[in-house]
Formats: sequence, structure tokens, C-alpha cells
Amino acid sequence: MKNLTRQSILIPFLILILAGPAQPVLAAGNLLIKNATILPVSGPPLSGGDVLVVDGIIKQIGRNLSAPPGTRIIEASGRYLIPGIIDTHTHLALSGTNEGTEAITPEVNMAEVINADDPAIFTALTGGVTTVHTMHGSANVIGGVNVVLKMKWGQPSEKLVVREAYPTLKFALGENVKQSNRTLLPGRPQRYPATRMGANAIIRRELLRARDYMAEWERYEKLKNSKNAPPGLLPPKKDLRLETLADLLRGKLYARCHAYVATEMVEFLNLAREFGFKVAALEHAWEAYKITDELLAAGVGISVFIDSWAYKMEAAEGIAYNAAYCSRRGVLVSINSDSSERVRRLFSEAGKAVKYGLTPDEALKMITINAARQLGLDHLVGSIEVGKQADLALFNEHPMSAYARCDLTIIEGEVYFDRDRLLREREAAAAPKGGN
Amino acid sequence: MKQKSRGFFRSGQKEKLFWLLIPVMLAIALLFMAPGAAAETKPAYALVNCRIFPVSGPSIDRGTILIRDGLIEAIGPADKVTVPDDAEVIEAGGLTAYPGLISGHTNLFLEIKEQEQTQTPADFMSAYTQPSEPQEFPELQVFKEIKPKKQTVESWQKAGITTVVVAPSRGIFQGQSVILNLNGDQASAMVLKQPWALHINFTTERGGIYPSSLMGTVAFIRQKFYDTIHYSLHQKKYLSSPRFLKRPEYDPFLEALMPFVVDKKPVVFQCNNQEDIKRALRLVEEFKLNAILAGCNEAWRAAEHLKKARIPLLVTLDFRPPGTSLYNQQGEAVRKKAEAEIYPGNAAALLKENISFALTSFGLSESSFVKNLQAAIKAGLSPEAALKALTIEPARILGLDRQLGTLEPGKIANLILTRGDLFGEKTRVVKVLVDGILFNYEEKGQ
Repeated sequence: MKNLTRQSILIPFLILILAGPAQPVLAAGNLLIKNATILPVSGPPLSGGDVLVVDGIIKQIGRNLSAPPGTRIIEASGRYLIPGIIDTHTHLALSGTNEGTEAITPEVNMAEVINADDPAIFTALTGGVTTVHTMHGSANVIGGVNVVLKMKWGQPSEKLVVREAYPTLKFALGENVKQSNRTLLPGRPQRYPATRMGANAIIRRELLRARDYMAEWERYEKLKNSKNAPPGLLPPKKDLRLETLADLLRGKLYARCHAYVATEMVEFLNLAREFGFKVAALEHAWEAYKITDELLAAGVGISVFIDSWAYKMEAAEGIAYNAAYCSRRGVLVSINSDSSERVRRLFSEAGKAVKYGLTPDEALKMITINAARQLGLDHLVGSIEVGKQADLALFNEHPMSAYARCDLTIIEGEVYFDRDRLLREREAAAAPKGGN
Repeated sequence: MKQKSRGFFRSGQKEKLFWLLIPVMLAIALLFMAPGAAAETKPAYALVNCRIFPVSGPSIDRGTILIRDGLIEAIGPADKVTVPDDAEVIEAGGLTAYPGLISGHTNLFLEIKEQEQTQTPADFMSAYTQPSEPQEFPELQVFKEIKPKKQTVESWQKAGITTVVVAPSRGIFQGQSVILNLNGDQASAMVLKQPWALHINFTTERGGIYPSSLMGTVAFIRQKFYDTIHYSLHQKKYLSSPRFLKRPEYDPFLEALMPFVVDKKPVVFQCNNQEDIKRALRLVEEFKLNAILAGCNEAWRAAEHLKKARIPLLVTLDFRPPGTSLYNQQGEAVRKKAEAEIYPGNAAALLKENISFALTSFGLSESSFVKNLQAAIKAGLSPEAALKALTIEPARILGLDRQLGTLEPGKIANLILTRGDLFGEKTRVVKVLVDGILFNYEEKGQ
């Protein structure tokens, strides 16, 4: 509905999937991929390499591997096998992006509004993307709790959720939250905050409220368990908004903060230090190159676009060397799509980092292992290693090449996207209708 | 009108009132000459020589049903039931009697205002300004809002429906429904249960008011439930011992929710797609609600969850794929194909999974209801299961299975007489009895 062009391209694919027998593409989590050039990300490339997958887990990597009888074998000579791509910042597969009526809405949770029917899941698969961090939008200073999904197209929503990932809470600063670009309607007041200082102040205000809330509950628990508990003792009112913020303060949630300019990022890191909450990454972070020392000191990474800077005032000092420079300085950098369309060519986005100074291997890390680390999933996915989940993508060329195309996308050993097969089926389905 | 006439005839003061009655009777006679149903009430009716599907037991080929004072007095094979002298005998040879159908979820008789457009630039802007107070009406009792219309009653009777739940239709906490017998147009005389259930919808059509998104809606519902629990706890403490306890501040919103959240009266969640079903089930689990799921035209896609939850379902025969559905995101051709070929299979799929359900006419016109019911049967739902899903199943869900849902002595005389099998394409409903009031729909010459 949002993007007609994309959908008209997708229609033939989708109809085929709908019309076909249930899950014909799946292969029950057992696979042997043969003779690929393997880019494991965690180590040197292996040409003519095989990967054996058993029950969705990578069992063996090497040459001339054999598989138990009945295992599906994928011949991949001349092709590149990489870990499934991970997109650390998207809004796909959701019914709604923002609860935009108020500035502070941590009570909302993206896991409540997953829509497994969103064709963007399929779009992501076509670009080798297997995992996404799908987030609340940037309309609010404190948005909602985000969720990490695997792109298991055709599976029900609950099977998509990756529960091992960091639970994260979306924050946002700058133009989107202070609503710089909105025209005020007569009679309607401007939403607070309307400035960057206001955004900072409201976060502090809310976190102080959350502290009070925690103290109130502590007092109650103590009184309740004491010998002379007052007869009229009532528990405090449960406040879902403050519950989430209390979880942030308790270290159960990680902040992910949308921010563009250097000053607001430093101020946010200061808030995190002051209140002792964890920050998993800063989002977009166009001026991160100005504050690499501060980022390294805080141990906070960034999740950025590669080269779409200067599309609004606060992005004016963004530079295409941001990702490469920060990465060389030691900051943990991932490249994100933030888009249900760009997600299908995230590998090309990462590939552009090569132009700005990184090696292809370094660039590839930004959409695989670095992204996994930012999501707290590097022990499960993000590289091709024995024992990790078999999330894999097979490309015709090196994925950082301008000619790269994803042919096969595998999640936990099951093939969710097979370009050749879909094209064949599409032609077959079109054939009887043809003939002018 | 019908209620009045019934009262007069049973008053036993006919002589005295004779002269007074003439104009009244003339008026009634005039009414009956108008096109539409000929409604009448006699003290007792005997329907004879009809085939009977009592639902509670095997069918009877040639049977008699005795109806007195709005209730079923006796029912059985022709040779087992004696027709009393005072009963008006209705020859029903060639007709089949079924319990009146129950639609457990409708918006009948509501003066529904047009939905506000939320797509104008002004609305879009307003979504980003300060919120005003939420417009929610958990205390609304839809009974006070309805205006029953004779025409509507008759057109649904002709579709076989004699009992309906009228649910409110706006907002998230929409208000409380009423259960009506379609016996005329006097709301009070129609009531079977008032109020019945609290209705909740995961809607986001709220303009710039919090919550304006689905995610906000879920949080809003949860917060209100927690507030209600706390409010009730505070009240109980205060009632038992008010000394040294500040009184709870009166909150009409939470007052209205208390019977449903704390005292576990029924709550109906309208589930517009498969994810709504899962959302509702999570809430039911979290708050241990006495809940019923309505809508549910994608229930088969959440069958695994429903099998575990064993929750009553009011499944609409509306086959339009919901907006979030995959089938609704690939153009008109795919959507239409899904509406014609996939969604009609919902009920059959539930039956196969051993998930019990009632069917409703929610969102449908009378003719679409009849047509879609036939489509559901064509898609694999057995006619027996369809009949149960419109009689005894909804009666159970509504807590009315001792009064309705089957043809048994002592139950309310809600029944329909058809020419042909109930779900046949050419079948017509020719007589309807609701609360023992007879409505004739047979055209002249038949």
C-alpha cells in the first residue's frame, strides 16, 4: 500500500508462494552447500568450500564434505556464501510505526504489533537479509520497545521473534522529536519538547519519575513484609510507562537512540552515564566522526546510512566517510536500511564503504557480525562458524561488488528465498496465459 | 403494536372493551394490509405435519410443535403430541422447522455516524500535537442508543435470524452490548439480557487522540485493566476499613470496567485479523478474563493458539480479507480471489481442528449473510455444524442455552419454518415465530 512500485514487482513472486503447496521451499534445516567461495567474516575466505547444516545449525565447514543420505545438496561453485545479512534499524513487518500523540511512550511494544504478512519480509529475503531489528519510529523522545525478527516468510508472527536479542528501547533526538518541520494548526499547541534542550530535559524528567516509581515500590515491598504493616497499605499503581523506564534503569533494557548531531549524542551519553543505563547503539549518528573519542570511551557503537547525507538541516554535516572513519577509529559500526525497500540492497549500501576507505571484508562486517554484536546476537549469528545458526546468503559475485545479486537466502538451514526456482515458477505460471 | 394487541386479547375483558377495541383492531388490520409480515399472536399455536430439526436430537419427519404463551409447550412426532382445542392449528406440511438462528455479533439498530476521515492533512497534523482526553465509553449501554425498526427486524427474520447481540461500534472500549429477540420494534420487549458484555476493539481510528496507533491501543488497554484492578482493591480496602485510608477518587471509566475486569463478566474482543486474535489471547491470559473473541474471519490462521486457549468464538461470515492481510496487499484480483476462495473456508478449517465456534452476521447485509453461509458450506462446513453454529453454540456463548438454541419443551418459542433445506440456494423462510409471535412471509399463491 505504501509502495506500489515495489509491490507490482513482487506480485508474481507472492502469488506463486500463495498458490503453491504449503512451504515447498523449505528443506527441514538440513543442507550441504558445495564448492562455494565462503566468506565467513570471522576468518579468511575459503574457496571451493562446503558448509554442512544439520538441524538448522552449522555442523562443519571445509572441503569435500559429505552429508547424510537424503540431505539436500546445493551446488554453489562460482558463487559466494556469506552469513545472512542483519539490518539493525528497520520498521518493517509492523502494524504502525509511531505512537505519535505523545513525546514519551515507552509503554508501547513493537512485539505487540508484528505483521508477518508484510511483503517487506520477502523483500528483505531477496537481498540476503535474514534478521532485522524492527523499531518504533523517531516521532517521540522516548518511543517504544523494539523487537528483533528473523525473515521467516510464511511463518506466523511468533516464530519470527528472536528472543535471545537485547531488549531495546527506542529514543530519538533532534528535528523529528522537536517537530521542526511541522506546521502548527491554529488552536493546537506545539508538543513539548520543541528544542534539543527540551528533549534532553524531558528524558531526565522521565527517568527521575521512574526512579521515584521504583523507590515507591521498594517502600511498599518493605512495609508489606514488615511486622507492623499499616492496615490501609495499598500497593502503588502499576504504571506501564514507568515500568519500562525502570527496566532501563535496572539494566534489563538497552537504549537505542536516533541522533544526528555531535552535541546531542554526547549529551545522551552523559545522561546514560548519569543514570547508569546501557546504550546499545546510536542511530544514524551523522556527526559521529566528530566524537569518536567519546564513543570509544562510552563503548557505544553506531548504526548508520552509508551516503545519504544532507537531506535535512541536521544532516548537513554528515559525510560519506562517517562509517569508514569511525570504523577505522575502532567504533563498532553497522550499516542500516531504515527502509522496507533499501533493505533488499543493503549489501550494495555496505559495498559503498569500500569507496570511502574500507576493505570489502571490513564493509561486509558492517551488515553481518558488527550488526549481530549490536543486537547481542553475535554468539548465534553474524558469521559462518561451526555451532552458529545456519543463516546464510548465496551471491553470484562478491556481495560488495556492484554486480552482486542474491540468489539464495537460508534461515536456520531452511531455504526461504530461491531466485532461480521462483523465476522458473513464475514463467510456468505465466505460460498458459500467454500466446497472443 | 404486537405486544399491545397480545395484552388486550389476554386481558379477559373483551366484552367491556369491545367498542373501544374496534378502532384499535381496524388500525391493526390496516397495518397488516401493508406489505411485509403479517404478525399475530394467539394464545396457542400448533404447527402440524412439519419436518423438525430440533438440534437437541434427531430430526422428526412429520411432527407437531405446540406453542403457548411464547414458549414451546410440546414437541414430537405427530402421533405423540395431542393438539389442544384452544390452539390455532397451522398446517405446515412441506415445511421444515428449525430453532431461530442467533447472530452473536451485530451492530443492528445503531444510528452509525459516518466514520471520521483520518486521511486529511489536518488530521495528519493533529496526530502530532498534544493529545486531548480519549473518547472512550466503557459505561455506554447500547440498549439506550438503539432504535429498532420493523423493516430491519423483518428482513433479518427472512434470513432466519430471530436473536441478535447488538454491540456498540465505536472506539476501543466500545461499551456494553444487549441481547435481543427480534420480536417487534419495542426495545424493552425484545431484551433477553441487558447488559451482556463489554466490547473491546483494537481500533486506531481515533485522529490525534492517544492512543492513535495499534501499539498504543494495546498499552492503553493494559494500563486501564491494571488501573481497574488497583481501583477495585482500593475500594474493597476502603469499604472494609476506611479509618486511616484515603478514599478512592471516583472514576466512572474504571467503575464501568470493574464488573468485567474484576468480577469477570464477559468481555468480547473484536479480532479483525489473525494478529488481533493473538493479541486478545495474550490479554485474556494476563488478566484472566472471561472473554469471547468476535470477528475472527482469519481464525484458521491462528488455529494453533485457539486450540490451546479453548475460548468461545463468534466468527463472522464476512469474507473480506483484513487490511493487514497478505491477500489484501497485492491488488484487487488477489483480494477478490481470496474473498471468494480462501476466507469462506475459515469455518470448515476450524471444524477440522475441533475448535468450536458460533457464526455471526457481523458486517454483513441480510442477503450477504445468507449467501456467505452457503459459501462456507460449499467450502466444507457441514450443514449440521453450520446449524449448530447458529443455534446452540451461540446460545451457550451468550449464556442462554437453557432458553434458546434448540427446539425443546420449556424453551422460548423462537423458530423458523422453511420451504426447502435451511441452507439451500432456493430455500425461503416462510414463517417465523419469535417469543411465540407469528410472522408470515409466504407470498400469496404459494
